[in-house]
Amino acid sequence: MNKGMSEIVKTISKIVTPFVIIFGISVIFYGHLTPGGGFPGGVIISACFVLLLLAYGKEKVLLKLSLYKSDILHNLGAIMFLSVALIGFLGGVFFLNIFDKGKLFSLWSGGNLLFSNISIGLKVGTSLFLGIVLLSMARVVYKENKIEFFEKEEDIK
Amino acid sequence: MNLIISPVILYLLSAFLIALLWKEYEKLSGIACLSFSILSLISVILLGKYVFLNERIVYYVGGWEIPIGITLMVDALSYIFLFVLNFILPLICWFSLSYMEKYTKAGYFYVLFSLISAGLNGILISMDFFNIYVFLEISSIASYILVAFGLRTEELEASLKYTILGFIGSTIILIAIGLIFGKTGTLNIADFTYIAKNINEIQLWFIIGFFISGFALKTALFPFHFWLPDAHSLAPSPVSAILSGLFIKVTGFYLLLRIITNIFTMFPESKIIILGLGLISMIFGSLMALDQTDIKRTYAYSSISQIGYCALALGIGGYYGYLGAILHFIFHSFSKSLLFLNSGAIEYRYKTTKIDELKGLQDKMPYTTMTASSGMLSISGVPPFGCFWSKIIIIISAIKAHYFGIAFICVVVSIITLGYFLKLQRNIFYSKDEFKTINEVNYNLLMPMIILSILISLSGLIFLPNLKIYIDKAVNVMENFKYAQIMEK
Amino acid sequence: MIIFIAIAIMFFVGIYGMMVKKNIIKMIIGLNIVGYAVNLFFIALGYKEDGIAPIIIPGMEIKEFVEKSVNPLPQALVLTSIVIDLSVICFLAALSIRIYEKYGSFDLEKIRRLKG
Repeated sequence: MNKGMSEIVKTISKIVTPFVIIFGISVIFYGHLTPGGGFPGGVIISACFVLLLLAYGKEKVLLKLSLYKSDILHNLGAIMFLSVALIGFLGGVFFLNIFDKGKLFSLWSGGNLLFSNISIGLKVGTSLFLGIVLLSMARVVYKENKIEFFEKEEDIK
Repeated sequence: MNLIISPVILYLLSAFLIALLWKEYEKLSGIACLSFSILSLISVILLGKYVFLNERIVYYVGGWEIPIGITLMVDALSYIFLFVLNFILPLICWFSLSYMEKYTKAGYFYVLFSLISAGLNGILISMDFFNIYVFLEISSIASYILVAFGLRTEELEASLKYTILGFIGSTIILIAIGLIFGKTGTLNIADFTYIAKNINEIQLWFIIGFFISGFALKTALFPFHFWLPDAHSLAPSPVSAILSGLFIKVTGFYLLLRIITNIFTMFPESKIIILGLGLISMIFGSLMALDQTDIKRTYAYSSISQIGYCALALGIGGYYGYLGAILHFIFHSFSKSLLFLNSGAIEYRYKTTKIDELKGLQDKMPYTTMTASSGMLSISGVPPFGCFWSKIIIIISAIKAHYFGIAFICVVVSIITLGYFLKLQRNIFYSKDEFKTINEVNYNLLMPMIILSILISLSGLIFLPNLKIYIDKAVNVMENFKYAQIMEK
Repeated sequence: MIIFIAIAIMFFVGIYGMMVKKNIIKMIIGLNIVGYAVNLFFIALGYKEDGIAPIIIPGMEIKEFVEKSVNPLPQALVLTSIVIDLSVICFLAALSIRIYEKYGSFDLEKIRRLKG
């Protein structure tokens, strides 16, 4: 049984995927120096998984990044961002940038901006993927002139 | 002064920790949410000493000074709202421990409950237009989802209507914020108040027009009210208690109050608009509540009517008007939360809230009957319950401002309120029914209602004389707002 | 000035879609258009003629940068507002799937059960 799109789409998306993910990670890490940041980088990463979803069908993608794993990762991203803010309490004020600022135009030059970008990227990437996969799970099927609604329980676990 | 931000942090932490660890275990997530909300209440109580000693606490997030960074501020006015909010939320959470048993995936309920609470706390502490918008949206989106939590057919439809109208309201507020930014180049409220004192232009009328219509949509004042009865009557009962008792007041009424009395002080005429809207929604809500077949719908229309009283008092202004607005907010929050929790307790046993199917609760659920009676008498303005004191102050304020017609209408609407609540009482509680055997609800459902009921029964007599000094400080904030002085340094 | 008129037209097109159309999906699209109109309004507020992106690159003078660059604050605000729009639309999509499950239709005329 051949699920998903045609062989051309599958091959091309297989070749493109690693580059897209690396580009997304670079957008996240250099968010404080170049255009981009946690949100655009996260969207790029989740778009890559959506590309795989379209090309191969959701069973293959959920093997790579299961719903359980992405659920945990997006909550972890939120807690990471909150803890970046809470670290500021060590200096006395919420969200205080207590890290060493480093040299301008190098990767380590924004203090806690790097950590907040990473956590936002984690949160946005996984939760956007989660939203699209969950929306795609509900499907409506016409069966003997009757509309039926399917939502696979085993997919969610 | 790190205590000022602790309610927001605690509720956000509660939301994400429950979502990460305990959402599969419903009891555990409920207890975690309850303990975080009690911690938040403790932190707010500890904050009170500093607020009333220093007049206000200003906090710079990340150490950035005023035009650049986000500023947080708590003064006597926002402290009273903060205290009422954080006092009622743990009680509602306690109530939901048993109530939410019949729903599947109740863990998500506590996640959304924590998010809505974090948003409401955040609105009360922030002093930055865009920050207020972000917190408003956090709590609004959580409330859209909570209305549809039961996934019954009507709930989905009510949530759809509520989401569309709520989005329009938020968009109007966002446009007003954009106009402020375009006009003055700042989003900080202190900075804006300082700049706007000296300019008196037609463009500012546009801004305040957008603000009034946006917040009137969130508060459900008369022409914008039509989403409220559906959303508030079909949501799960703890959610209705949050929405009706706290949400519309914090997101709508509190922000309207700040905008009208503190920030746009150069347009005292705008109070007349609020007075008119409040008067119409007061009359309309009470008339609509007379002819309802569902308990929760009656309560929802009664909310429109009572929020009209708050807006009316705000529009009349003066010392007594502001005092009446704040007191009516406090007592109506307690009473309406109590009544919605009560309808939840009835629904828990009878599985319905239709008036025709409920009979003779006096013998079967005596404590529920007693608490319901105290809440209803309070809202109708019967002495010595809470809302009597606030209503009499509103009437005094109307007389002092020579609005004799309005004072008369206030009394008439109060009598109509008593009328529909007496009708409910006679039909539901004090009637005879020998067929069904139904027991009183359990301890978890009963205790929050009893605590709220004792508070609204005694507050007018015992607490009000002692608390008047603090409420006077809040009224003082409404009469002359000196926050912009920190720009002069 | 012409961009603000265009934004106003776009806003009212979106409001028309939300208020008049009877199909839930068309309503969601109208809501999306309203959100984009407001975002565009914010971006237009920070616009400066012949401006450059507000990002410092090596070898740029600070004074020249401050004079030329557009205001970065509206762009940061728009990013937040995009996320809010996204979450509302995502929720509405899920809600409309549930409504389709119950009623078998996206038509508001058929699913109107509440009195209002």
